[in-house]
Amino acid sequence: MLKHLAGLGAALVAASALAQGVPAGYPADYAKVLDAAKKEGKVVIYSALDTKAAQPLIRDFESAFPGIKVEYNDMNSTEMYNRFIAESASGQGGADVMWSSAMDLQVKLVDEGKAMAYASPEASKLPSWAVYKGEAWGTTYEPAVFIYNKRLVAADEVPHDHAAFAKLLESKTAKFKGKVNTYDIEKSGVGFMFVVQDTKYFQGMKDLEKAFGKAEYKVFSSTGNMLEKVSSGEHLLGYNVLGSYALVRAKKDPSLGVVLPKDFTLVLSRVMFIAKQAKNPNAAKVWTDYILSQRGQKMIGGPVELFAVRSDVDAEYTAASLNKELGANAKPIPVSSEIVGYLDPKKRLDFISAWKSEIAAGAAGK
Amino acid sequence: MSTVPAAVAPVAPNTLLARFPRALTILVTASAVLAPLALILYQSFLTAPFFDASKKVGLGAYRFVFADPDFWQAFLNSFTLAVGMTLIAVPLGALLAFVMERTDLPWKRVLEPMILVPSFVSPMVLSFGYVVAAGPVGFYSVWAQDLIGTAPWGIYSIPAMAVIAGLTHVPNVYVYATSALKSLGSDVEEAARTAGASPFRVAATVSLPLIAPALLFSAVLVFFLGFELFGLPLVLGDPEGHLVLSTYLYKLTNKLGVPSYHLMAAVAICIVAVTFPLVLLQRRLLQNARRFATIKGKAGRMKALPLGRWKPLAMALLLAWLFLAVIVPVSGIALRAFVTNWGIGVSLLDAFTLDNFRAVFEEPTHTRAIVNTILIGTIGGAIAVACYTAIGFATHRRNDGWSRFVDYLVLVPRAVPGLLAGLAFLWVFLFVPLLAPLRATLFSMWLAYTVVWLAYGMRLISTSLFQVSTELEEAARTIGASRGRISREITLPLIRHGLLGSWLLVFMIFEREYSTGVYLLAPGNEVIGAELVSLWQGGAIDVVAALSLVNIVLVAIGLAIALRFGVRLRD
Amino acid sequence: MAELTVDDLHLRYGDTPILNGVALTLERGQVVSLLGPSGSGKTTLLRAVAGLETPYQGTIRVGDQVVFDGARALDVPAERRNLGLVFQSYALWPHKTIFDNVAYGLKLRGHSAADIKTSVTRALEQLSLGHLGQRYPHQLSGGQQQRVALARALVYNPPVILLDEPLSNLDAKLREEARAWLRELIVRLQLSALCVTHDQAEAMAMSDRILLLNGGRIEQQGTPREMYGNPSTLFVADFMGSNNELKGDIVEARDGVATLNGDGFSVTGAARSGAATGVPGVAMIRVERVRIADAPGPNRIAAKLVTSMYIGDRFEHLFEVGKGRLRAYGDSALEAREAFHVELPRDSLWIFRAGS
Repeated sequence: MLKHLAGLGAALVAASALAQGVPAGYPADYAKVLDAAKKEGKVVIYSALDTKAAQPLIRDFESAFPGIKVEYNDMNSTEMYNRFIAESASGQGGADVMWSSAMDLQVKLVDEGKAMAYASPEASKLPSWAVYKGEAWGTTYEPAVFIYNKRLVAADEVPHDHAAFAKLLESKTAKFKGKVNTYDIEKSGVGFMFVVQDTKYFQGMKDLEKAFGKAEYKVFSSTGNMLEKVSSGEHLLGYNVLGSYALVRAKKDPSLGVVLPKDFTLVLSRVMFIAKQAKNPNAAKVWTDYILSQRGQKMIGGPVELFAVRSDVDAEYTAASLNKELGANAKPIPVSSEIVGYLDPKKRLDFISAWKSEIAAGAAGK
Repeated sequence: MSTVPAAVAPVAPNTLLARFPRALTILVTASAVLAPLALILYQSFLTAPFFDASKKVGLGAYRFVFADPDFWQAFLNSFTLAVGMTLIAVPLGALLAFVMERTDLPWKRVLEPMILVPSFVSPMVLSFGYVVAAGPVGFYSVWAQDLIGTAPWGIYSIPAMAVIAGLTHVPNVYVYATSALKSLGSDVEEAARTAGASPFRVAATVSLPLIAPALLFSAVLVFFLGFELFGLPLVLGDPEGHLVLSTYLYKLTNKLGVPSYHLMAAVAICIVAVTFPLVLLQRRLLQNARRFATIKGKAGRMKALPLGRWKPLAMALLLAWLFLAVIVPVSGIALRAFVTNWGIGVSLLDAFTLDNFRAVFEEPTHTRAIVNTILIGTIGGAIAVACYTAIGFATHRRNDGWSRFVDYLVLVPRAVPGLLAGLAFLWVFLFVPLLAPLRATLFSMWLAYTVVWLAYGMRLISTSLFQVSTELEEAARTIGASRGRISREITLPLIRHGLLGSWLLVFMIFEREYSTGVYLLAPGNEVIGAELVSLWQGGAIDVVAALSLVNIVLVAIGLAIALRFGVRLRD
Repeated sequence: MAELTVDDLHLRYGDTPILNGVALTLERGQVVSLLGPSGSGKTTLLRAVAGLETPYQGTIRVGDQVVFDGARALDVPAERRNLGLVFQSYALWPHKTIFDNVAYGLKLRGHSAADIKTSVTRALEQLSLGHLGQRYPHQLSGGQQQRVALARALVYNPPVILLDEPLSNLDAKLREEARAWLRELIVRLQLSALCVTHDQAEAMAMSDRILLLNGGRIEQQGTPREMYGNPSTLFVADFMGSNNELKGDIVEARDGVATLNGDGFSVTGAARSGAATGVPGVAMIRVERVRIADAPGPNRIAAKLVTSMYIGDRFEHLFEVGKGRLRAYGDSALEAREAFHVELPRDSLWIFRAGS
């Protein structure tokens, strides 16, 4: 009897909680968090994702949780980091949630104790490499791809793995000279992170660097620029481009082709954490849970046109579908301290100068 | 006259209270100028951001910068650009000024505003325009390729950047050259003409040598601007990896993975070390140029030099410059704003769309940027002019030590690259408790703009002030008016028209400003210029094109309204 | 008590001395002119009195109030000296009406609107500007603008008015009328005026006393008659009228009489400053005192007629004397003759030491 009563009681509480907007499966006292969040009234997000792309997410969240307004600020990942540390140092906390593709910078901030520990009910549904100390979470699953111009690059020239890429540049230098691009590793944190990981998985990285040099590769700090140049035909190939943008553009742009490298594909996951000094901590928690929930992930894999990281989500772009294509070759970059190593100035500069000297050697024909 | 008793002199106490407004003005100005600079200097001698607990004092930043071959390459590139663009802008600007000011070229009223267009348009926008118009797959390049099989120009090299920079800085020379030419009597030119010289010969041997001080000043100004270039090398230099000092500085934002404010500060101090002497030199040359003009006295009756058979050539020269410096980039932007994508093999008509504009107007950050930009130009510009006027009055016709102090004080912000000035203001607003709540408001952006352009604004105001004859003020003094009253009741009404002109110029400067806001950008105080830099870095080319076009239109509207109300662009 | 007293005033611009010890007094109802060539410091002196220039030594007193004392570092600013200054260019404020231009001084002194209206209206009427109150300066003629500038300086009854070249901006015809009218106005209103002018005729017509400045110092001061008829130095004589000059050597100078021997002539006249036996000298006589005689005689010089010019109201004859020239006026043309005898009457001739 008592057990039944307890069960009924629990169900009642759950039902009432549900009535108040608490998502299914959440602990019952989540309602308190929700209430507090509604009292706070807003959540301030600093994010590297364009506002335009994030619109569907924001609107969905606001309709799911009326009373919590999203103040969404997009800026590039370095700006985010700079602003965050300056604001924390001056006690001027602005951000409640930090959501950036610069995984290393995010982890660094967490390591410095700037993130709030939070046991999200959704955390258990994420792959293990995507959760860090219960303070930061990977939220997306974005591959690093090759891009090419469909009109000007022959089908049999298209490289399908890293070695083929290097070989193509080596053998057909005349055609591709000055027409291959990638991230400027000095300017783009993401680009730098990618090539560091490449070095881990690809033995022939030095040959690729030499090939870049021989082919007089061009470097950019923005994905958009790279996509633009390849799409317009000014360039023919792009390396390590962030796949989420590339795949989305390729759908509308008949000139743009995308390749998921077959030997291994790096996968980036945008890292999110709640600022310890957050002025709206409860709203931040609700947002985080939303992003990590099925509903949020479905949006991410759908209208937002990124890739959902959760494997149990049914959407157009998901980790699952990607993994099906890549299998074991998907190499997600872990959300952990191991990626912070290259934020040490000396290590970073050494890597950069080693890279540059390989490029120079390739250009000189050695 | 004798029923009114012999009056007592009016009371105008020379007490501390009377001196208060002047003292306050000078104090506020000094703080606004020196605080950011002091922060930058301090930061350059640290090993980490100054608010970082682990910072230490040291010369590490300078050591790093001086040991970096990229820095020296950037320095060399800056120097090359500066020299190149000066060599192009000065002769061209002088020649154009001569043709427009002293000859009987037709359609001058239409042509003149167009000559000044590059000075209204943001360099970011212009450079971007060149990419989409004349880049490797630009509109004109593609058309040329279809027509004649080749597009023999490249815009990503240092020489090309020097040419573009030179062409787009012609207005800077033009303004000073025409001003000086206005004060020449036409008799010297007529004498040469009767002796048989062609108009261009007259220009080269008579008129232009006579305005040498103004030309020298313009040359130093353009050279100085060469070191300040940011938008142009950002857009045109990056593809081939050509760095200049400002883009090298910008690159440092990310080179170490974490912000390297100390390195950036060190580079900024190095830049100031070069630019500040140039600013001082400019000041001296401007005084010379002014003195030279007044020695000549009033201009005689000015008769236009007939061009005769040289007319087609002169017109061709003018139109060629207009085409290269104005039409090419602006048409590029206009076209790109209305297409979804472009390149080899893409038909313009197929790609026509209004989506880009929809993207701009549906996005709160962008609409906010547009509104903010309008506000900062109109209201912000008016308040800035009021501030400049107040400072002008504090130093006008007073040759004491404080005036000289302010004279040099206002030159300081000019020497600091806009990028770093904006960053320094960010720090000031973050860490000064009183100002903190204003950081994310338009006020912080406005303050940074006003301080950065202090020297320019002061020059505008002092030009107006100098046009008020001393005697008008002395007459008021002898009648018994205090300095404050004279400023308010005599000088101010007389410079009203000049102030309106200054407001218009400040409006245009604020509209095209972009580097100062880059680091100051926060949700709430977005402005178009800084947004463009951010968007360009993020690769949103479509939005950049549309927003650029909006920017140009805004400036054009402002200009049209002002000109309609009879405001003159220059004296 | 004098309205204005200046004592031992020294002033320099940078290192250049402008005033080197100037003193003057101005009594009530007097018009005093500061006369001199450009660069003599006369305008600077006027501006120093007004407070627009700062001397480094000397004193200036307006009535019994000391407004400048170099020794005590006392310098009352211009706006508190309560003087009236009429500028050469009139300096009317273009953005104010005539009425407002004139009323400004009273407004500063806190007069009521009614008082201001009365005073200004009266001032304008007294200067025949009554109907122009609502016009703007650029709508007035030069002569009218001058009168407005005067009205503006007078309306608040300053003890002294200072006038900087008051007539030089007027056309020649207007100038002659204006100098009479100006003096009459000043006398009628019992004002005390200090005028700067470079025109000696104007100075003589208008002033009770003239101060002739040369190189920052007062070379001579006196009534117009004294200045014209009794110049103490060569410079004063030269400046004050149209003269003939003959150079030579003074062979005798005694009891106020001197004899000058020149190139083929010898003349005797009044010995003036520095004239002494055996020094080079200059004989000077006003052009209008030269007479043309029929025959040789004392103080007569044989001369050849070069040309006669008809000026309308008289003839001007030009004679050649040795290496020099002599001018004389006449009523009628002269018939050509071998030689004329130009007489320099002894009581009109001055003999100066050369360079004095």
